[in-house]
Amino acid sequence: MTQTRGDKEALLEVTDLRTHFATADGLVKAVDGVSLRIRPGKTLGVVGESGCGKSITALSIMRLIERPGRIVSGTIKFDGQDLINLPDDEMRDLRGNQISMIFQEPMTSLNPVYTCGDQIAETVARHSNVSRKAAMDRAVDMLSQVGIPDPKRRATEHPHQLSGGMRQRVMIAMALSTNPELLIADEPTTALDVTIQAQILELMKALRERNGMAIMLITHDLGVVAEMSDDVSVMYAGKVVEASDVITVFDKAHHPYSRGLLASIPRMGHRQERLEVINGVVPNPLNLPSGCLFKRRCPYAMPICDTKPPLREITPGHVSRCWLAPDGGKPELGEAPSAAEAEAAANTLTVANP
Amino acid sequence: MTEIRTPNTLTPPPPAGAAGIAEADTLVRVDNLVKHFEIRGGMLGVSTIGAVKAVDGVSLSVKRGEALGLVGESGCGKTTLGKVILRLLPATSGRVEMDGQVLFDIPAKGEKQRPAVYAGKEAMKKVRQNMQVVFQDPYASLNPRMSVGELVGEGPLVHGMTDKKEREALVRDMLSRVGLNQSHIHRYPHEFSGGQRQRIGIARALALHPDFIVCDEPVSALDVSIQSQVLNLLNDLQAEMGLTYLFIAHNLAVVEHISDRVGVMYLGKLVELANVDDIYANPRHPYSVALLSAVPEPDPHRRKKRIILKGDIPSPANPPSGCRFHTRCWLREQLGRPERCATEEPELRDLGAGQQSACHFAEEISSAAVESAVTTSAPVPTSTI
Repeated sequence: MTQTRGDKEALLEVTDLRTHFATADGLVKAVDGVSLRIRPGKTLGVVGESGCGKSITALSIMRLIERPGRIVSGTIKFDGQDLINLPDDEMRDLRGNQISMIFQEPMTSLNPVYTCGDQIAETVARHSNVSRKAAMDRAVDMLSQVGIPDPKRRATEHPHQLSGGMRQRVMIAMALSTNPELLIADEPTTALDVTIQAQILELMKALRERNGMAIMLITHDLGVVAEMSDDVSVMYAGKVVEASDVITVFDKAHHPYSRGLLASIPRMGHRQERLEVINGVVPNPLNLPSGCLFKRRCPYAMPICDTKPPLREITPGHVSRCWLAPDGGKPELGEAPSAAEAEAAANTLTVANP
Repeated sequence: MTEIRTPNTLTPPPPAGAAGIAEADTLVRVDNLVKHFEIRGGMLGVSTIGAVKAVDGVSLSVKRGEALGLVGESGCGKTTLGKVILRLLPATSGRVEMDGQVLFDIPAKGEKQRPAVYAGKEAMKKVRQNMQVVFQDPYASLNPRMSVGELVGEGPLVHGMTDKKEREALVRDMLSRVGLNQSHIHRYPHEFSGGQRQRIGIARALALHPDFIVCDEPVSALDVSIQSQVLNLLNDLQAEMGLTYLFIAHNLAVVEHISDRVGVMYLGKLVELANVDDIYANPRHPYSVALLSAVPEPDPHRRKKRIILKGDIPSPANPPSGCRFHTRCWLREQLGRPERCATEEPELRDLGAGQQSACHFAEEISSAAVESAVTTSAPVPTSTI
């Protein structure tokens, strides 16, 4: 279905998305200018630490943001349609049908008073014109496809009767029951043990290959990202700070935050005396620094960092929100450029259109 | 339970057949430790209808100055083991000795009748100065109504440091050791980030200058960039203060980074124990092999094939007979399902070079065996979509 589309064409294109929360303490700009693109059939890994806005980005795409949150601006183009301005009923038809989502905690996302089969059948019935029985057959079929043994019996069981790994399989079965073109998976394996995580990742890979669906995989685990993704976007404090294909991000990371993240994780088989660290902590969303949001923790901080860096192209297909020169060296600017000079430089540098 | 106060010199020798003669450099010795949580049921909910066998016969020793890592998946009993060693939970049976002092020695069911021995209140209080714990959740493990000074200074106060000035000096010293600002002494936990709270928890554990610290998942609640800060801190403190760690975690890369030796647990049993380099390079228990192969590596060039274990971890209330891993074991499949795995419980046995494994067929693990397990266990579901 998606094979005819060119590789360059995006299935989902998010441009300059801003989702803000008006809290009693002030305006939290949880997502503040996020741009992403997901190619049909490909997997985009979205990496970042807690509070960087990766989950809010996903919920914005699904239009599941509730008050006091609000999508302030930006466009979300899915298959040529603008999701932000789609009427509610059309969005409901699309949600769970062409775009499905699975969450981190399978227990809280399944309804405890309905059987697993009922919950999957409900999704099927909502999006296709089939009989109750056909919907239930489809539910049992889906359960067997996600590798649940004895699916007929499991379909009659309630979520509390299943283990964590099984529940996540039920979530995946439900999400895939409508053959979505895009699956948004928000930390799908974070709550699971490592051997169960391996089962779920293998399952997602197998299903991805067979259905040709695209995946937006949100995680903080760089191992999972390296394993699953074709492309990677790194987020920090509500913004995408770096994006490229997975090999480029892991081998030639440009942004000091991405480099710091990659250097700070202990790796199996590479024992080292000390781990690299990123100093300091993530800034308070109510009190963000001016200019570059990472400058207070950045080992390369320069005077120009007081001016907001644009997301610009480093090499074709590789964007980074940092003033450093593409080779990682100091930019060709004066030692301490005035604000006006920095502004001018910002305008002359290519602002990428990711 | 009656407490029998036994002076240190009168404690009986360790039961024969346990981990052997005590070495001079052993700080903590654990012999055949068992912890069962009773399941109550019946009509009035008072009769015992079963037991969750959280820890079921674990023996190990922690050498002075080392970091012993303990890995395993949720429900394998690693946290319970740590708590029972510290006597934060009463043991069902078994013996723990800390720096020559027996904390408890409780005969197992069926063992020759002898009275259970517990260290007395005074002796226990003294030992507790020497063994401390850092918990997983830096939000739940700090009392929100106590200031940092009170939290870190509570241990010294309980143990007789009544002078306020002296205590404050100690707390300030501890805060600077863990990388916190001394001026934070009057602040409360909610004013700190997760990583800083974990530093407070570490300062609290250090305040009594213990030799032995149980670190129970100390970094798993922290973000990646903060995790490395805390790991470096734990490493530095160990070198500076000569600490001995029992480091409990599920993240295998973290455990490899911090540990000298590593134990792998599965369903209440220690299934493998070896030096860190040996166990990561050459695991000798099929569960360790699968566990290590399951970890996704942060390197897109090496998307490795892995051994996918079938099914879930069985319930510790009703563990499989024989070897507890036999229901999911890839090696047993390869060997044509030998009966022995299902009937005979394997002992942790020495395979040379300090590597111990509790597998009847540990010698059969080879790179060829692992290779074929990797390629045969692809769980691709049948296609009907």
